[in-house]
Amino acid sequence: MAPCSPEEELARARAGEPAAFATLVRVHQRSVYSLALRMLGNREQAEDLAQEVFLQLHRMLGTIASATHLQFWLRKVTTHRAIDSLRRRPAGEQPLQESEVHRVAVAAANSPDPLLQRHLESLIMQLAPAPRAVLLLRYQEDLDPVDIGNVLDMPVNTVKSHLKRSLATLRETFGLDRPRDVDANAGGMLE
Amino acid sequence: MIRDLRVTLFALLLAIVSGAIASAPASANPLLQIPEFEGLAAKASESVTVTLDSALLQMAARFLSADDPEDAEVRKIIQGLQGVYVRSFTFDSDFAYPQADIASVRKQLSSPGWQRLVEVRKRKEGTEVDVYVSVVPGSNKANGLAIIASEPRQFTIVNIVGAIDLDTLHKLEGDFGIPKLDIESKPERR
Amino acid sequence: MSRDLEDLLRSGLRPVDPGEAFTRQVLARVERERERERERPPIVASRPRVHLFRWVSAALAASAVLAVVFYNIQERREQMQGLAAREQLLEALRVTSEKLDLAYQGVQTPSREDDEDSHDS
Repeated sequence: MAPCSPEEELARARAGEPAAFATLVRVHQRSVYSLALRMLGNREQAEDLAQEVFLQLHRMLGTIASATHLQFWLRKVTTHRAIDSLRRRPAGEQPLQESEVHRVAVAAANSPDPLLQRHLESLIMQLAPAPRAVLLLRYQEDLDPVDIGNVLDMPVNTVKSHLKRSLATLRETFGLDRPRDVDANAGGMLE
Repeated sequence: MIRDLRVTLFALLLAIVSGAIASAPASANPLLQIPEFEGLAAKASESVTVTLDSALLQMAARFLSADDPEDAEVRKIIQGLQGVYVRSFTFDSDFAYPQADIASVRKQLSSPGWQRLVEVRKRKEGTEVDVYVSVVPGSNKANGLAIIASEPRQFTIVNIVGAIDLDTLHKLEGDFGIPKLDIESKPERR
Repeated sequence: MSRDLEDLLRSGLRPVDPGEAFTRQVLARVERERERERERPPIVASRPRVHLFRWVSAALAASAVLAVVFYNIQERREQMQGLAAREQLLEALRVTSEKLDLAYQGVQTPSREDDEDSHDS
């Protein structure tokens, strides 16, 4: 049997086919879980949040118009829930399993430089929730600032500002010179 | 289990007083007359229209699970409410919605008894957000909440009718991301 | 250290798969929620016992069956209305919370790019 297109799979899931919904979960769980993990810095909380997102998706399937809308919806709900969860944390509380985030991330990245990778991860965890979400949506999900703004209900200028400041901080920490073509690589998006 | 903080945040914001709304001299009508925006729904790329009066809220409550903490939170919220009304429209281009309809809702919120708690104006981003409560005169109790949010590609009107405990709201200032609200300030003179 | 930062971020932030156990957990929770929905006000109310004694006329029997059918349809309709009302309520709470967040952000984080006309009334 030929594999279904994303739209067909979505239609089947909306029609109540459990197998189709299971496929949707498998297809999107990497993105949802990774966003949650890198926002929260805690594997257990990230799994819990990611599961809640899919539960909510199951309830709201009737409102999902297309496969594109589904991706947008998942990113939006995941990041908003993660930001809310972070706001609820008592001030000063650090993520409990930062080292675990690092182990997972290093494995995924297959980084030739684990120390560099670890440093990067811990710097990202030190960003405030909103700029952290912006960074993840940009470099994990490969969204442009307009789409990031739509996901986070954030003006485009604020998205660009967060990106600029976060990259500057990371660049300074790593001792990187500002390459001329970084802004061009961002598609002139940081202007 | 991590609950949806948005539900929790809203629950804290609308901590419900036990008991009936205090009777008071004529105050603002907490139920706003919100236009239906029928023509706009067709133009919008996304729309959310919620109209839940007391009967429908009770009906919804019957289908909230007693075992689910999130549902339990929602049940607590709606216990003292008489209505929940939302109109939210998203468009593909900037300001594709008529300001006049929103102005008619704002006008109702300028009547005595409505107090604006938060005003956000971001001209460069074209964003305006106002949060109002309808206060029962002579008490610190609110019997209505209204939010008007106008963004370039989305506008949203929320009207909640029901008993709201402003004292509890006041104690939550600064916690859980709830804005600092100056409950004791005199209502704006218009 | 000359490696491009953006390449570093892209390679370092590749999505991670939580594994098949995660998928199973999600599907199990979905199934549990379905069970809870099913255990709610039953579609079929307690059906009146219809004892088809041979001295009950066909007309009376047909009327009794029809009454049960209409009652079930009404119950089903109320259940669907109730579920729809619940979904509307959750959506309303989500939108409200979202806009309260927007107000909060406006009050808490004015920046040079933003206008300074945001304040608590």
